[in-house]
Amino acid sequence: MFGSSTVKVKIDKDLMDRLRKVADVAGYATAEEFVTHVLEKEMLHFEDAGSDEDIREKLKGLGYIS
Amino acid sequence: MFETLKRKLFSGDRGEPIVIVSGLPRSGTSMMMNMLHGGGLAVMSDGEREADIDNPKGYFEYERVKDLESETDKSYVREGRGKVLKVISFLIKDLPDDNDYEIIFMRRDLGEVLKSQAKMIDRLGTADTDADDEAMKEAYRNDIVRTRLLCKKRPNMRLLEVHYKSTIEDAQATAQQVNAFLGGRLDETAMKVAVDGSLYRNRASS
Repeated sequence: MFGSSTVKVKIDKDLMDRLRKVADVAGYATAEEFVTHVLEKEMLHFEDAGSDEDIREKLKGLGYIS
Repeated sequence: MFETLKRKLFSGDRGEPIVIVSGLPRSGTSMMMNMLHGGGLAVMSDGEREADIDNPKGYFEYERVKDLESETDKSYVREGRGKVLKVISFLIKDLPDDNDYEIIFMRRDLGEVLKSQAKMIDRLGTADTDADDEAMKEAYRNDIVRTRLLCKKRPNMRLLEVHYKSTIEDAQATAQQVNAFLGGRLDETAMKVAVDGSLYRNRASS
């Protein structure tokens, strides 16, 4: 977070309460830290195209990549 | 207006855009190739993969595209300028930057896609991934989102999403939509005629 600006995101209050509980149990310093970690992990699915071995295998089987 | 101006400034001397038909395998890419071919667009294809039971009207593929991810010399892609080339969504990221691309992205119910892919792999007798359908759906959803994000990021890419089912239901509407996207140079009636609804065999149970 250091050196980068932040923005506010609205989250349903009940969800936030659940996030706080899980963040605490999982050992995160704050719920914000937990949310940031989860979102960064999720973003990797979209940004890291090199990790899709299942797709690669499927496409090879179908004859669409060598 | 701004997008058009931006593209003109960016494109320099890269010639006519390459029309790309993309999407997941079995999402209607060959049907769209057939529509564009019928509408008067030249196809970049080597004819190596012949028509079969899975694609009775032909695949319209260019074999070398299968190596886009691994090959370093991609200069051959330029031969597709002013033509249409089929490139599956997974390989859009590997298209070289020295061309402009007008991408027609075929969308189809993922359950139907997987059902059709399973039949094709079964017929081909090739190896399949161990991933179950739910894992594959998630992987494909990510693949689709990545393609959308990539097309927003790269100034040399324009994207039009076309749904397989709605094309079967109203080929005329899709022909109009695609023709407008490509600048109105195609024969819409011939595009419509190229759609064969009898090939919609793997339907989602509703």
